[in-house]
Amino acid sequence: MSNFKVAIRENQKIQVVDLKGYLDAHTAPELEKLFQTLIDKKVFNIVVNCKDLNYISSAGLGVFMAYIEDVRKNNGDIKLSNMSSKIYNVFDLLGFPLLYDITSDEAEAIQKFCSIK
Amino acid sequence: MKKFKKALLLGTTGFILFIVFVVDIIRQSVDIEIGWIILLREILILAAFATLFIMLESTWKREQTPSKKLGFALVLSLVAATATAMMFIISPSGFEVKNEYLLPLGFDSVFWANLASIVLGVTMVLLVMILRDILFSKRRKGTKRNFIILIILIIVSSVTALFYRPMEYGTISTILTFITLAAMLWNSFRVSWIVYLTKREKILSIVYGFFLFLIFIGFDIVLARGQTVVGQSILFYSPPLQTFIKDVALFATIYFGMTFISTLFHLPTAEAFDRKISEVASLHNLSKLVTQVFDFNELVETVTAMTLQVCEAKSAWLEIIALHNSKKYMNNSAIHENDVAIAGLKNISQEETEIIMEAIRPSIRQSVLDHGKPIIIDSIGDDKRTQGIKMSVNKFSSMAIVPLVSHENVIGILYATKDVEYGFDKDDIDVISAFADQATVAIENSRLIEKSLERERLMREMMLAQEMQRKLLPQRIPELENIDLEALSTPAFEVGGDYYDFLMIDNEHLGILVGDVSGKGVSAAFYMAEMKGIFQSLSKIYTEPRKFLIEAQRALIETIDSRSFISVVYAVVNVKTGLMKVARAGHCPILHVSKSNAGYIKSIGLGLGMGSVEIFERTITQIEIQLESGDVAVFYTDGVTEARPDGVPEFGYERLQEVVVGVMQKSSMHIRDALITAVDSHMMHEPPEDDLTIVVLKWKK
Repeated sequence: MSNFKVAIRENQKIQVVDLKGYLDAHTAPELEKLFQTLIDKKVFNIVVNCKDLNYISSAGLGVFMAYIEDVRKNNGDIKLSNMSSKIYNVFDLLGFPLLYDITSDEAEAIQKFCSIK
Repeated sequence: MKKFKKALLLGTTGFILFIVFVVDIIRQSVDIEIGWIILLREILILAAFATLFIMLESTWKREQTPSKKLGFALVLSLVAATATAMMFIISPSGFEVKNEYLLPLGFDSVFWANLASIVLGVTMVLLVMILRDILFSKRRKGTKRNFIILIILIIVSSVTALFYRPMEYGTISTILTFITLAAMLWNSFRVSWIVYLTKREKILSIVYGFFLFLIFIGFDIVLARGQTVVGQSILFYSPPLQTFIKDVALFATIYFGMTFISTLFHLPTAEAFDRKISEVASLHNLSKLVTQVFDFNELVETVTAMTLQVCEAKSAWLEIIALHNSKKYMNNSAIHENDVAIAGLKNISQEETEIIMEAIRPSIRQSVLDHGKPIIIDSIGDDKRTQGIKMSVNKFSSMAIVPLVSHENVIGILYATKDVEYGFDKDDIDVISAFADQATVAIENSRLIEKSLERERLMREMMLAQEMQRKLLPQRIPELENIDLEALSTPAFEVGGDYYDFLMIDNEHLGILVGDVSGKGVSAAFYMAEMKGIFQSLSKIYTEPRKFLIEAQRALIETIDSRSFISVVYAVVNVKTGLMKVARAGHCPILHVSKSNAGYIKSIGLGLGMGSVEIFERTITQIEIQLESGDVAVFYTDGVTEARPDGVPEFGYERLQEVVVGVMQKSSMHIRDALITAVDSHMMHEPPEDDLTIVVLKWKK
């Protein structure tokens, strides 16, 4: 049933979250839980790698919106990377690029975090 | 009529008996003995008692219990015995025996003979009826037959007496007497009704039986042939009546004696029998209850009340171990722990039960919970497991703890206490267990009912939300000279997130709004209602789409949940000139198809509820398009473009454009239907996964 997976990797104090499969109303709580634990651990620099993300629904988009403010208040950010063009279209339609850093490459996103510091 | 008939019968009886009395007086004074007069006299007496019997039978109440009938028999016998005793006291002149005939020694003898015969005769007729009812109260095959045989024998004996002189002993009558006696004995074994009496009734029956037995022995002695003045009187009055009275009295003696002895033997088991009866009745009630009770508290009360009744326990209560969210059932009982409630308290306070349960928690209660087997404490004081119960509450001496087991889970525990030690035996536990089983079923039922009610309530709420949502959508489409407008919205689930609306802002401007609230269900319906309010109120103030959306964002951002948003596309069309101003807040771009060109109006803008008002205002743009004759603008939600059955690519923007371009010459309704057909065939006629909304505008000028 679970056609969605989240995994985290640490990269120079930046947490990289790998998304895989379908992020919809059923799987969104999983990602939500992960963000919550990261924030509880005072991790505010997060890169979400969407390379293997096949689908995202409005509930999935809502998860990013729910935590962006918290993270930014603590001088952190959620950056998105490696989206397929289809997934990018969904984010783009809602105007996500206006609010989020969306990079084509994970390394680029990490680089952006480092350059700020 | 009925009363008149009774009075007539009673009058007839009295009249006949009076005639007999007059005849007796005449016989006494004139001293004549004529055979046919004597025979006529006997026939008259028989007729008198026959009419009396018919009268009594018509007013007779059969429904009373045997013990009440016995009581009535006793009262009757006492009256008759008193009358008899009075006769001894008055002591009339008596009779002279001459040639086996009885001759009265005075008028007083004649009078008293008449009176005593009537009193005893009536008594015995009534007694026969009473005995019949008692015998028939637990009727079996042959009961009636045996009784009728006895009555026939008594009547035959009585008639036989006609052929003898009063003081004569005949062989036939002696033989008949013995046969009748055998029939009496045979009938007197019909005492099975005693078994079914309650203990109280049995005690009453013993008393009644004993006194009746004594009284009738007295009657037997008094009535013995020619030995006493009363016996002689009746024999003088009518030998057949004397035989009848004597036989009935004898049968009554035997039967009441039998009643007395049998009841005496049944007394020790009376209590057990009572209990069995009440067990059966209670179980029957409980099983009825299981199907009837919807009120959980009422059910619990009944279970503990019946426990008290059946085991004659002093107090009882039920501990309910709630599953998940079943706490709400315990309206009238306090929550003891997080998941335990005490209910149906009987003769014990909440505090006491808590102290007791706390004391036996580690030892007994845990064992009952673990093994699901009942436990009996014979003596609270001596049992080690109950040493914890403080003396202050030690008002009882024995205790039964029976679990309520459902699918191998203990869902409750039934407690009962008694004042005496060794108060509960195995039978008690069996009965309490039977109750516990029934209670378990009932509790389960009541929980299921509650659950299904809850589900029904949710369903109804959903229906309401759906209804509300349906009303939020425009009920009719504006009819305009230059614009051919058509719309359709179908929610995928009970309540969807799609929304569209039209409004004539002024005489020249038509506002068209299509949106999609993130999420579904009731919350989506609420945001939709809020959006409708904003549209209806702000669109007339802020006529520029961009400005309107900024103000909508300002209004929404305060109330909307951080993870929810509303994507909206808003167009204001000048219905005279065809100038269309468009702004987009995160929604699917409008498809614009003209004769020469086709494409999506992709202005920039965040979804409503995303980011701050400031960012929203900074980023949102507005595009103006001049509609030409035959131009088509299609507003839609992602239910169209993202329509996708398993394993097939989405419907997509190109497909949408292709379909619309293909039918752009036709009416809005036609274009709309062509789109729906295309989406449906793309879905391979599967029901859509998402809400689907299409608004088609065609510029006709």
